[in-house]
Amino acid sequence: MKAAQVIMDTGAHAAALAVKSARVDVVPGYPITPQTSIMEAVAAMVENGELNARFIPVEGEHSAMAAAVAASAAGARVFTATSANGLLYMHEVLHMASGGRLPVVMCNVNRGIFAPWTLWADHQDSFAQRDTGWIQYHCSSNQEVFNTILQAFRVAEQINIPIMVNFDGFAISHCLMPLTLPPQEDIDRFLPPHEPKWRLDPAHPSSFSNVTNAAEYAPFRQMLSDDIMASIPLVKQAAQEYKDITGMWDGDTIDTYLLEDAEVVAFAVNSMAAELRLSIDILREQGIKAGLLRPRLYLPFPAEDIINALPQNAQVMVLDRNYNFGHPGGILASELKSVLFGRRNDITVKNRVMGIGGIDLPRRFMAAEIRAMMDE
Amino acid sequence: MLELRINGFGGQGSVTLAHLLAQAALENGEQGQALPFFGVERRGAPVRAAVRMSPTTIHAHSQCELPDYVVVMSEKLIKAAVSEGITEIGTVIINAPHAVAVDKHPTWQLDADAIAREAGLFSADGPFINIPLFGAVCRVLNIPQNIMEQTIMNKWPGSGERNLGAAGKAYNTVTQISV
Repeated sequence: MKAAQVIMDTGAHAAALAVKSARVDVVPGYPITPQTSIMEAVAAMVENGELNARFIPVEGEHSAMAAAVAASAAGARVFTATSANGLLYMHEVLHMASGGRLPVVMCNVNRGIFAPWTLWADHQDSFAQRDTGWIQYHCSSNQEVFNTILQAFRVAEQINIPIMVNFDGFAISHCLMPLTLPPQEDIDRFLPPHEPKWRLDPAHPSSFSNVTNAAEYAPFRQMLSDDIMASIPLVKQAAQEYKDITGMWDGDTIDTYLLEDAEVVAFAVNSMAAELRLSIDILREQGIKAGLLRPRLYLPFPAEDIINALPQNAQVMVLDRNYNFGHPGGILASELKSVLFGRRNDITVKNRVMGIGGIDLPRRFMAAEIRAMMDE
Repeated sequence: MLELRINGFGGQGSVTLAHLLAQAALENGEQGQALPFFGVERRGAPVRAAVRMSPTTIHAHSQCELPDYVVVMSEKLIKAAVSEGITEIGTVIINAPHAVAVDKHPTWQLDADAIAREAGLFSADGPFINIPLFGAVCRVLNIPQNIMEQTIMNKWPGSGERNLGAAGKAYNTVTQISV
Protein backbone atom coordinates (compact mmCIF):
# COMPACT_ATOMS: atom_id res chain seq x y z
CA MET A 1 0.00 0.00 0.00
CA LYS A 2 1.27 3.46 -0.90
CA ALA A 3 1.84 5.96 1.90
CA ALA A 4 0.26 9.38 2.12
CA GLN A 5 2.39 12.27 0.88
CA VAL A 6 2.94 15.47 2.89
CA ILE A 7 3.46 18.70 0.93
CA MET A 8 3.41 22.40 1.75
CA ASP A 9 0.67 24.30 -0.04
CA THR A 10 -2.01 26.95 0.33
CA GLY A 11 -5.70 26.39 1.12
CA ALA A 12 -6.63 27.41 -2.43
CA HIS A 13 -4.24 24.82 -3.87
CA ALA A 14 -5.55 22.24 -1.38
CA ALA A 15 -8.97 22.80 -3.00
CA ALA A 16 -7.51 22.41 -6.51
CA LEU A 17 -5.71 19.20 -5.50
CA ALA A 18 -8.98 17.81 -4.12
CA VAL A 19 -10.69 18.61 -7.44
CA LYS A 20 -7.95 16.65 -9.20
CA SER A 21 -8.23 13.73 -6.75
CA ALA A 22 -12.03 13.69 -7.21
CA ARG A 23 -11.49 13.19 -10.96
CA VAL A 24 -13.87 16.04 -11.78
CA ASP A 25 -15.17 16.11 -15.39
CA VAL A 26 -16.17 19.75 -15.93
CA VAL A 27 -15.00 23.02 -14.32
CA PRO A 28 -16.65 26.28 -15.41
CA GLY A 29 -14.74 29.18 -13.90
CA TYR A 30 -14.66 32.92 -13.55
CA PRO A 31 -12.01 34.70 -11.46
CA ILE A 32 -12.67 36.68 -8.29
CA THR A 33 -10.29 37.41 -5.40
CA PRO A 34 -9.48 35.43 -3.25
CA GLN A 35 -10.86 32.41 -5.08
CA THR A 36 -8.86 32.99 -8.28
CA SER A 37 -5.90 30.86 -7.19
CA ILE A 38 -8.17 27.78 -7.15
CA MET A 39 -9.29 28.34 -10.75
CA GLU A 40 -5.73 29.15 -11.89
CA ALA A 41 -4.45 25.90 -10.40
CA VAL A 42 -7.31 23.81 -11.84
CA ALA A 43 -6.92 25.43 -15.28
CA ALA A 44 -3.19 24.63 -15.20
CA MET A 45 -3.92 20.99 -14.28
CA VAL A 46 -6.31 20.68 -17.22
CA GLU A 47 -3.81 22.40 -19.54
CA ASN A 48 -0.88 20.14 -18.61
CA GLY A 49 -2.98 16.97 -18.69
CA GLU A 50 -2.86 16.19 -14.94
CA LEU A 51 -6.66 16.45 -14.81
CA ASN A 52 -8.75 15.01 -17.62
CA ALA A 53 -11.52 17.60 -17.46
CA ARG A 54 -13.14 20.29 -19.57
CA PHE A 55 -12.36 23.79 -18.29
CA ILE A 56 -14.97 26.33 -19.44
CA PRO A 57 -13.93 29.99 -19.08
CA VAL A 58 -17.11 32.06 -18.88
CA GLU A 59 -17.90 35.79 -18.76
CA GLY A 60 -19.34 35.94 -15.22
CA GLU A 61 -20.48 33.93 -12.22
CA HIS A 62 -24.12 33.71 -13.36
CA SER A 63 -22.84 31.89 -16.45
CA ALA A 64 -20.38 29.81 -14.41
CA MET A 65 -23.24 28.35 -12.38
CA ALA A 66 -25.44 28.00 -15.50
CA ALA A 67 -22.66 25.98 -17.19
CA ALA A 68 -22.24 23.93 -13.99
CA VAL A 69 -25.98 23.17 -13.95
CA ALA A 70 -25.99 22.14 -17.62
CA ALA A 71 -22.88 19.95 -17.30
CA SER A 72 -24.25 18.31 -14.15
CA ALA A 73 -27.58 17.65 -15.90
CA ALA A 74 -25.58 15.94 -18.65
CA GLY A 75 -24.18 13.58 -16.00
CA ALA A 76 -20.75 15.12 -15.40
CA ARG A 77 -19.02 15.53 -12.04
CA VAL A 78 -18.83 19.33 -11.81
CA PHE A 79 -16.84 21.78 -9.67
CA THR A 80 -16.64 25.55 -9.60
CA ALA A 81 -15.51 28.19 -7.12
CA THR A 82 -16.36 31.75 -6.25
CA SER A 83 -16.31 34.42 -3.52
CA ALA A 84 -18.49 37.24 -2.14
CA ASN A 85 -20.21 39.21 -4.92
CA GLY A 86 -19.52 36.41 -7.39
CA LEU A 87 -21.61 34.12 -5.18
CA LEU A 88 -24.33 36.76 -4.93
CA TYR A 89 -24.38 37.10 -8.72
CA MET A 90 -24.99 33.31 -8.93
CA HIS A 91 -27.87 33.44 -6.48
CA GLU A 92 -30.69 32.79 -8.97
CA VAL A 93 -28.89 29.87 -10.60
CA LEU A 94 -28.04 28.32 -7.21
CA HIS A 95 -31.77 27.65 -6.90
CA MET A 96 -31.75 25.97 -10.32
CA ALA A 97 -28.98 23.60 -9.18
CA SER A 98 -30.76 22.60 -5.96
CA GLY A 99 -34.29 22.52 -7.44
CA GLY A 100 -32.92 20.52 -10.38
CA ARG A 101 -31.35 18.13 -7.84
CA LEU A 102 -27.91 18.48 -9.44
CA PRO A 103 -24.91 17.41 -7.28
CA VAL A 104 -22.56 20.30 -8.14
CA VAL A 105 -19.81 20.98 -5.60
CA MET A 106 -18.60 24.56 -5.27
CA CYS A 107 -16.01 26.26 -3.09
CA ASN A 108 -16.94 29.66 -1.78
CA VAL A 109 -13.86 31.40 -0.45
CA ASN A 110 -15.46 33.67 2.15
CA ARG A 111 -14.99 37.41 1.58
CA GLY A 112 -16.93 40.42 2.83
CA ILE A 113 -19.61 41.83 0.54
CA PHE A 114 -19.56 45.05 -1.54
CA ALA A 115 -20.33 47.94 -0.75
CA PRO A 116 -17.84 49.23 0.22
CA TRP A 117 -15.30 46.89 -1.36
CA THR A 118 -13.26 44.65 0.87
CA LEU A 119 -10.99 41.77 -0.11
CA TRP A 120 -10.88 39.97 3.23
CA ALA A 121 -12.95 37.38 5.01
CA ASP A 122 -16.26 37.50 6.74
CA HIS A 123 -19.20 35.12 6.47
CA GLN A 124 -21.97 37.33 5.09
CA ASP A 125 -21.62 35.84 1.58
CA SER A 126 -22.23 32.16 2.40
CA PHE A 127 -24.83 32.74 5.11
CA ALA A 128 -26.77 34.95 2.67
CA GLN A 129 -27.30 31.79 0.55
CA ARG A 130 -29.04 29.99 3.41
CA ASP A 131 -32.36 29.64 1.58
CA THR A 132 -31.06 28.42 -1.78
CA GLY A 133 -31.43 24.71 -0.94
CA TRP A 134 -27.66 24.03 -0.93
CA ILE A 135 -25.94 22.03 1.77
CA GLN A 136 -23.11 24.12 3.30
CA TYR A 137 -19.91 23.03 5.00
CA HIS A 138 -17.57 25.56 6.67
CA CYS A 139 -13.89 24.54 7.03
CA SER A 140 -11.27 25.69 9.50
CA SER A 141 -8.00 24.36 8.01
CA ASN A 142 -6.26 23.72 4.69
CA GLN A 143 -6.46 19.98 5.30
CA GLU A 144 -10.16 20.17 6.08
CA VAL A 145 -10.75 21.98 2.77
CA PHE A 146 -9.12 19.08 0.90
CA ASN A 147 -10.94 16.42 2.93
CA THR A 148 -14.32 18.16 2.77
CA ILE A 149 -14.40 18.59 -1.02
CA LEU A 150 -14.06 14.80 -1.38
CA GLN A 151 -16.71 14.17 1.26
CA ALA A 152 -18.97 16.76 -0.38
CA PHE A 153 -18.89 15.05 -3.80
CA ARG A 154 -19.83 11.78 -2.15
CA VAL A 155 -22.75 13.19 -0.18
CA ALA A 156 -23.99 15.40 -3.05
CA GLU A 157 -24.08 12.48 -5.47
CA GLN A 158 -25.78 10.18 -2.94
CA ILE A 159 -28.66 12.57 -2.33
CA ASN A 160 -28.67 14.77 -5.49
CA ILE A 161 -28.23 18.07 -3.71
CA PRO A 162 -25.49 20.62 -4.51
CA ILE A 163 -22.94 21.39 -1.79
CA MET A 164 -21.01 24.57 -1.01
CA VAL A 165 -17.64 24.15 0.74
CA ASN A 166 -16.75 27.43 2.46
CA PHE A 167 -13.45 28.62 3.89
CA ASP A 168 -11.89 31.98 4.70
CA GLY A 169 -10.18 34.08 2.10
CA PHE A 170 -6.44 34.68 2.76
CA ALA A 171 -6.42 33.26 6.32
CA ILE A 172 -6.88 29.81 4.72
CA SER A 173 -6.81 30.36 0.94
CA HIS A 174 -3.37 32.03 0.91
CA CYS A 175 -1.93 30.35 4.02
CA LEU A 176 0.89 27.88 3.29
CA MET A 177 0.74 24.83 5.56
CA PRO A 178 1.49 21.11 5.50
CA LEU A 179 -1.09 19.13 3.56
CA THR A 180 -1.44 15.34 3.63
CA LEU A 181 -2.43 13.80 0.30
CA PRO A 182 -3.78 10.26 0.67
CA PRO A 183 -2.85 7.78 -2.07
CA GLN A 184 -5.14 8.13 -5.11
CA GLU A 185 -6.34 4.53 -4.81
CA ASP A 186 -7.65 5.30 -1.30
CA ILE A 187 -9.52 8.34 -2.61
CA ASP A 188 -10.96 6.28 -5.48
CA ARG A 189 -12.18 3.74 -2.94
CA PHE A 190 -13.84 6.51 -0.91
CA LEU A 191 -15.30 8.34 -3.92
CA PRO A 192 -16.41 5.99 -6.70
CA PRO A 193 -17.19 7.41 -10.19
CA HIS A 194 -20.38 9.48 -10.47
CA GLU A 195 -23.26 7.40 -11.81
CA PRO A 196 -26.28 9.68 -12.09
CA LYS A 197 -29.73 8.07 -11.97
CA TRP A 198 -30.80 10.39 -14.79
CA ARG A 199 -29.03 12.59 -17.31
CA LEU A 200 -29.71 14.76 -20.35
CA ASP A 201 -28.77 12.63 -23.34
CA PRO A 202 -29.26 13.68 -27.00
CA ALA A 203 -29.78 9.99 -27.94
CA HIS A 204 -32.78 9.83 -25.58
CA PRO A 205 -34.28 13.33 -25.70
CA SER A 206 -36.06 14.57 -22.59
CA SER A 207 -36.45 17.85 -20.74
CA PHE A 208 -36.46 18.86 -17.09
CA SER A 209 -37.57 21.71 -14.88
CA ASN A 210 -40.69 22.47 -16.93
CA VAL A 211 -43.55 24.66 -15.67
CA THR A 212 -45.41 22.74 -12.99
CA ASN A 213 -48.83 23.07 -11.41
CA ALA A 214 -48.92 23.67 -7.67
CA ALA A 215 -49.85 20.02 -7.14
CA GLU A 216 -46.57 19.01 -8.80
CA TYR A 217 -44.42 21.93 -7.58
CA ALA A 218 -45.22 21.55 -3.87
CA PRO A 219 -44.09 17.90 -3.60
CA PHE A 220 -40.79 18.79 -5.32
CA ARG A 221 -40.13 21.49 -2.72
CA GLN A 222 -41.15 19.18 0.12
CA MET A 223 -38.80 16.49 -1.16
CA LEU A 224 -35.92 18.96 -1.33
CA SER A 225 -36.60 20.08 2.24
CA ASP A 226 -36.86 16.49 3.49
CA ASP A 227 -33.73 15.37 1.65
CA ILE A 228 -31.64 18.26 2.98
CA MET A 229 -32.52 17.06 6.49
CA ALA A 230 -31.82 13.46 5.43
CA SER A 231 -28.28 14.43 4.40
CA ILE A 232 -27.13 14.54 8.05
CA PRO A 233 -26.55 10.77 8.42
CA LEU A 234 -24.81 10.77 5.03
CA VAL A 235 -22.49 13.59 6.16
CA LYS A 236 -21.62 11.58 9.27
CA GLN A 237 -21.10 8.38 7.29
CA ALA A 238 -18.85 10.19 4.79
CA ALA A 239 -16.72 11.67 7.61
CA GLN A 240 -16.43 8.28 9.34
CA GLU A 241 -15.54 6.31 6.20
CA TYR A 242 -13.06 9.00 5.15
CA LYS A 243 -11.43 8.58 8.54
CA ASP A 244 -11.43 4.79 8.23
CA ILE A 245 -9.67 5.02 4.86
CA THR A 246 -7.31 7.99 5.36
CA GLY A 247 -7.03 8.29 9.15
CA MET A 248 -8.01 11.97 8.98
CA TRP A 249 -10.88 13.50 10.95
CA ASP A 250 -12.19 17.08 11.06
CA GLY A 251 -15.43 16.33 12.89
CA ASP A 252 -18.68 15.36 11.15
CA THR A 253 -21.62 17.75 11.48
CA ILE A 254 -19.81 19.43 14.37
CA ASP A 255 -16.27 19.55 15.71
CA THR A 256 -15.53 20.03 19.43
CA TYR A 257 -12.55 20.85 21.67
CA LEU A 258 -12.53 20.35 25.47
CA LEU A 259 -16.32 20.49 25.42
CA GLU A 260 -17.32 17.69 27.85
CA ASP A 261 -16.76 19.59 31.13
CA ALA A 262 -17.06 23.11 29.70
CA GLU A 263 -19.04 25.79 31.51
CA VAL A 264 -18.24 28.40 28.84
CA VAL A 265 -18.55 27.31 25.21
CA ALA A 266 -17.21 29.29 22.23
CA PHE A 267 -19.36 28.79 19.12
CA ALA A 268 -17.98 29.88 15.73
CA VAL A 269 -17.09 28.67 12.22
CA ASN A 270 -14.11 28.75 9.83
CA SER A 271 -10.54 29.83 10.58
CA MET A 272 -11.50 31.81 13.70
CA ALA A 273 -12.76 28.53 15.18
CA ALA A 274 -9.28 27.02 14.69
CA GLU A 275 -7.68 30.01 16.42
CA LEU A 276 -10.31 29.68 19.18
CA ARG A 277 -8.70 26.41 20.30
CA LEU A 278 -5.76 28.54 21.44
CA SER A 279 -8.14 31.01 23.14
CA ILE A 280 -9.69 28.06 24.98
CA ASP A 281 -6.21 27.05 26.16
CA ILE A 282 -5.64 30.61 27.46
CA LEU A 283 -8.99 30.59 29.31
CA ARG A 284 -8.26 27.14 30.80
CA GLU A 285 -4.91 28.48 32.09
CA GLN A 286 -6.90 31.25 33.76
CA GLY A 287 -9.02 28.61 35.52
CA ILE A 288 -12.10 28.98 33.31
CA LYS A 289 -13.66 25.73 32.13
CA ALA A 290 -13.90 26.73 28.47
CA GLY A 291 -14.59 24.59 25.40
CA LEU A 292 -15.38 24.91 21.70
CA LEU A 293 -18.27 23.80 19.54
CA ARG A 294 -17.72 24.42 15.83
CA PRO A 295 -20.59 23.61 13.45
CA ARG A 296 -18.84 22.13 10.42
CA LEU A 297 -22.23 21.92 8.74
CA TYR A 298 -24.09 25.22 8.61
CA LEU A 299 -26.89 23.86 6.45
CA PRO A 300 -28.66 21.67 7.43
CA PHE A 301 -28.00 23.23 10.83
CA PRO A 302 -27.02 20.21 12.99
CA ALA A 303 -29.63 20.85 15.67
CA GLU A 304 -29.70 17.42 17.33
CA ASP A 305 -25.91 17.10 17.50
CA ILE A 306 -25.60 20.57 19.03
CA ILE A 307 -28.40 19.91 21.53
CA ASN A 308 -26.76 16.62 22.56
CA ALA A 309 -23.21 18.00 22.75
CA LEU A 310 -23.74 21.11 24.90
CA PRO A 311 -22.92 20.49 28.59
CA GLN A 312 -25.58 21.21 31.24
CA ASN A 313 -26.07 24.91 32.13
CA ALA A 314 -23.36 26.07 29.70
CA GLN A 315 -22.97 29.71 28.69
CA VAL A 316 -22.56 29.68 24.91
CA MET A 317 -20.57 32.58 23.46
CA VAL A 318 -21.46 32.86 19.79
CA LEU A 319 -18.79 34.75 17.85
CA ASP A 320 -20.37 35.82 14.57
CA ARG A 321 -18.30 37.10 11.63
CA ASN A 322 -21.44 38.47 9.96
CA TYR A 323 -24.48 40.61 10.68
CA ASN A 324 -28.07 39.48 11.07
CA PHE A 325 -29.47 42.78 9.79
CA GLY A 326 -32.66 43.75 11.59
CA HIS A 327 -31.47 41.94 14.72
CA PRO A 328 -28.84 43.12 17.21
CA GLY A 329 -26.26 40.36 16.61
CA GLY A 330 -25.16 37.76 14.08
CA ILE A 331 -26.75 34.91 12.12
CA LEU A 332 -25.20 31.94 13.96
CA ALA A 333 -26.60 33.17 17.28
CA SER A 334 -30.05 33.41 15.78
CA GLU A 335 -29.81 29.88 14.32
CA LEU A 336 -28.55 28.50 17.62
CA LYS A 337 -31.28 30.14 19.70
CA SER A 338 -33.98 28.77 17.39
CA VAL A 339 -32.80 25.16 17.85
CA LEU A 340 -32.33 25.49 21.64
CA PHE A 341 -35.75 27.09 22.25
CA GLY A 342 -37.93 24.71 24.23
CA ARG A 343 -35.26 21.99 24.09
CA ARG A 344 -32.39 23.27 26.25
CA ASN A 345 -33.70 25.96 28.59
CA ASP A 346 -30.62 25.47 30.79
CA ILE A 347 -28.36 27.09 28.15
CA THR A 348 -27.54 30.83 28.05
CA VAL A 349 -26.64 32.27 24.64
CA LYS A 350 -24.52 35.42 24.35
CA ASN A 351 -23.38 36.94 21.09
CA ARG A 352 -20.79 39.31 19.60
CA VAL A 353 -20.07 40.30 16.03
CA MET A 354 -16.34 40.53 15.21
CA GLY A 355 -13.74 40.13 12.48
CA ILE A 356 -15.85 41.86 9.82
CA GLY A 357 -14.02 42.44 6.52
CA GLY A 358 -11.01 40.47 7.72
CA ILE A 359 -10.27 42.30 10.96
CA ASP A 360 -7.66 40.08 12.58
CA LEU A 361 -8.90 37.75 15.36
CA PRO A 362 -5.87 36.75 17.46
CA ARG A 363 -6.26 34.17 20.25
CA ARG A 364 -5.66 36.69 23.06
CA PHE A 365 -8.30 39.07 21.71
CA MET A 366 -10.98 36.36 21.45
CA ALA A 367 -10.13 35.01 24.91
CA ALA A 368 -10.56 38.53 26.33
CA GLU A 369 -13.87 38.96 24.47
CA ILE A 370 -15.18 35.70 25.92
CA ARG A 371 -14.14 36.78 29.44
CA ALA A 372 -15.92 40.09 28.99
CA MET A 373 -19.05 38.31 27.73
CA MET A 374 -19.10 36.17 30.90
CA ASP A 375 -19.75 39.31 32.95
CA GLU A 376 -22.55 40.60 30.75
CA MET B 1 4.84 27.45 18.98
CA LEU B 2 7.36 29.90 17.59
CA GLU B 3 5.91 33.02 15.94
CA LEU B 4 7.76 35.36 13.61
CA ARG B 5 6.70 38.41 11.62
CA ILE B 6 8.42 39.81 8.56
CA ASN B 7 8.12 43.56 8.01
CA GLY B 8 9.27 44.74 4.60
CA PHE B 9 8.43 46.79 1.53
CA GLY B 10 6.42 45.40 -1.40
CA GLY B 11 8.87 43.90 -3.92
CA GLN B 12 11.52 42.83 -1.37
CA GLY B 13 10.36 39.20 -1.43
CA SER B 14 8.70 38.91 1.98
CA VAL B 15 6.19 36.30 0.75
CA THR B 16 8.93 34.05 -0.64
CA LEU B 17 10.94 34.47 2.57
CA ALA B 18 7.86 33.44 4.61
CA HIS B 19 7.30 30.41 2.34
CA LEU B 20 10.96 29.35 2.60
CA LEU B 21 10.89 29.55 6.42
CA ALA B 22 7.67 27.49 6.66
CA GLN B 23 9.18 24.92 4.29
CA ALA B 24 12.38 24.81 6.33
CA ALA B 25 10.29 24.00 9.41
CA LEU B 26 8.74 21.01 7.63
CA GLU B 27 12.18 19.96 6.34
CA ASN B 28 13.37 20.19 9.96
CA GLY B 29 10.68 17.74 11.12
CA GLU B 30 8.24 20.33 12.47
CA GLN B 31 5.01 21.91 11.29
CA GLY B 32 5.34 25.24 9.48
CA GLN B 33 2.97 27.98 8.42
CA ALA B 34 3.42 31.03 6.19
CA LEU B 35 0.59 33.55 6.28
CA PRO B 36 1.40 36.66 4.26
CA PHE B 37 -0.89 39.63 4.69
CA PHE B 38 -2.21 40.53 1.26
CA GLY B 39 -3.26 44.13 1.03
CA VAL B 40 -3.98 46.17 -2.03
CA GLU B 41 -0.52 45.37 -3.39
CA ARG B 42 1.78 48.26 -4.20
CA ARG B 43 5.48 48.00 -4.87
CA GLY B 44 7.32 49.93 -2.17
CA ALA B 45 4.46 50.03 0.35
CA PRO B 46 4.98 48.43 3.79
CA VAL B 47 4.02 44.71 3.80
CA ARG B 48 4.10 41.98 6.41
CA ALA B 49 3.94 38.22 6.66
CA ALA B 50 3.47 35.81 9.57
CA VAL B 51 5.48 32.60 10.02
CA ARG B 52 4.85 29.91 12.62
CA MET B 53 6.78 26.77 13.56
CA SER B 54 5.63 24.12 15.99
CA PRO B 55 6.26 20.46 16.80
CA THR B 56 2.44 19.98 16.82
CA THR B 57 -0.46 21.00 14.53
CA ILE B 58 -0.72 24.78 14.10
CA HIS B 59 -4.26 26.04 14.72
CA ALA B 60 -3.50 29.77 14.65
CA HIS B 61 -4.69 31.67 11.56
CA SER B 62 -4.31 35.26 12.72
CA GLN B 63 -1.48 37.61 11.81
CA CYS B 64 1.28 37.44 14.44
CA GLU B 65 0.39 40.32 16.82
CA LEU B 66 3.01 39.43 19.46
CA PRO B 67 5.73 37.42 17.71
CA ASP B 68 8.88 36.02 19.31
CA TYR B 69 10.92 37.23 16.32
CA VAL B 70 10.59 40.19 13.97
CA VAL B 71 12.51 40.28 10.69
CA VAL B 72 13.02 43.86 9.48
CA MET B 73 13.81 43.92 5.76
CA SER B 74 14.85 47.58 5.77
CA GLU B 75 16.39 49.87 8.36
CA LYS B 76 13.69 52.43 7.56
CA LEU B 77 11.08 50.08 9.04
CA ILE B 78 12.61 49.46 12.48
CA LYS B 79 10.35 51.75 14.50
CA ALA B 80 7.19 50.75 12.64
CA ALA B 81 8.01 47.03 12.86
CA VAL B 82 8.69 47.04 16.60
CA SER B 83 5.68 49.19 17.42
CA GLU B 84 3.44 46.78 15.49
CA GLY B 85 4.09 44.27 18.28
CA ILE B 86 6.76 41.90 19.61
CA THR B 87 7.05 40.01 22.90
CA GLU B 88 8.95 41.77 25.66
CA ILE B 89 12.03 39.61 25.14
CA GLY B 90 11.45 39.18 21.41
CA THR B 91 14.41 39.07 19.03
CA VAL B 92 14.85 41.45 16.08
CA ILE B 93 16.72 40.47 12.91
CA ILE B 94 17.62 43.51 10.80
CA ASN B 95 18.90 44.01 7.28
CA ALA B 96 21.23 46.98 7.64
CA PRO B 97 24.72 47.89 6.36
CA HIS B 98 25.94 48.57 9.90
CA ALA B 99 25.17 47.56 13.48
CA VAL B 100 21.78 48.83 14.67
CA ALA B 101 20.64 48.25 18.25
CA VAL B 102 16.94 48.02 19.02
CA ASP B 103 16.07 49.20 22.50
CA LYS B 104 15.62 46.32 24.99
CA HIS B 105 15.50 43.62 22.31
CA PRO B 106 18.20 41.09 21.44
CA THR B 107 19.17 42.07 17.91
CA TRP B 108 20.94 40.36 14.99
CA GLN B 109 22.22 42.33 12.02
CA LEU B 110 23.07 41.38 8.45
CA ASP B 111 23.97 43.39 5.34
CA ALA B 112 21.67 41.40 3.07
CA ASP B 113 21.90 43.96 0.23
CA ALA B 114 25.69 43.57 0.00
CA ILE B 115 25.58 39.75 0.18
CA ALA B 116 22.87 39.54 -2.50
CA ARG B 117 24.70 41.94 -4.85
CA GLU B 118 28.02 40.17 -4.33
CA ALA B 119 26.35 36.85 -5.26
CA GLY B 120 24.84 38.41 -8.38
CA LEU B 121 21.33 38.11 -6.98
CA PHE B 122 19.71 41.31 -8.18
CA SER B 123 17.51 42.75 -10.88
CA ALA B 124 16.84 46.31 -12.05
CA ASP B 125 14.48 46.62 -9.05
CA GLY B 126 17.23 45.86 -6.53
CA PRO B 127 18.96 42.98 -4.74
CA PHE B 128 17.09 39.77 -3.78
CA ILE B 129 17.62 40.26 -0.06
CA ASN B 130 15.16 37.54 0.94
CA ILE B 131 17.73 34.82 0.13
CA PRO B 132 20.48 36.02 2.53
CA LEU B 133 17.81 36.87 5.11
CA PHE B 134 16.53 33.29 4.86
CA GLY B 135 20.04 32.04 5.72
CA ALA B 136 20.34 34.52 8.58
CA VAL B 137 16.96 33.68 10.12
CA CYS B 138 17.72 29.94 9.93
CA ARG B 139 20.95 30.61 11.85
CA VAL B 140 19.18 32.68 14.53
CA LEU B 141 16.46 30.01 14.91
CA ASN B 142 19.15 27.27 15.12
CA ILE B 143 17.85 25.49 12.02
CA PRO B 144 20.82 23.39 10.79
CA GLN B 145 22.62 24.73 7.71
CA ASN B 146 22.00 21.53 5.74
CA ILE B 147 18.23 21.86 6.33
CA MET B 148 18.44 25.48 5.12
CA GLU B 149 20.31 24.34 1.99
CA GLN B 150 17.93 21.45 1.31
CA THR B 151 14.97 23.86 1.48
CA ILE B 152 16.57 26.08 -1.19
CA MET B 153 17.38 23.09 -3.39
CA ASN B 154 13.80 21.82 -3.10
CA LYS B 155 12.45 25.26 -4.01
CA TRP B 156 14.72 25.79 -7.04
CA PRO B 157 15.90 22.33 -8.12
CA GLY B 158 19.09 22.43 -10.14
CA SER B 159 19.48 26.22 -10.22
CA GLY B 160 20.12 27.20 -6.64
CA GLU B 161 23.89 27.68 -6.60
CA ARG B 162 24.03 31.46 -6.20
CA ASN B 163 21.14 31.24 -3.73
CA LEU B 164 23.03 28.61 -1.73
CA GLY B 165 26.17 30.75 -1.71
CA ALA B 166 24.38 33.88 -0.53
CA ALA B 167 22.27 32.10 2.08
CA GLY B 168 25.32 30.21 3.37
CA LYS B 169 27.36 33.41 3.69
CA ALA B 170 24.51 35.05 5.60
CA TYR B 171 24.12 31.96 7.81
CA ASN B 172 27.75 32.28 8.86
CA THR B 173 28.08 36.06 9.12
CA VAL B 174 24.84 37.27 10.72
CA THR B 175 25.99 39.04 13.88
CA GLN B 176 24.45 39.35 17.30
CA ILE B 177 24.69 42.94 18.50
CA SER B 178 25.61 43.24 22.16
CA VAL B 179 22.92 45.03 24.14
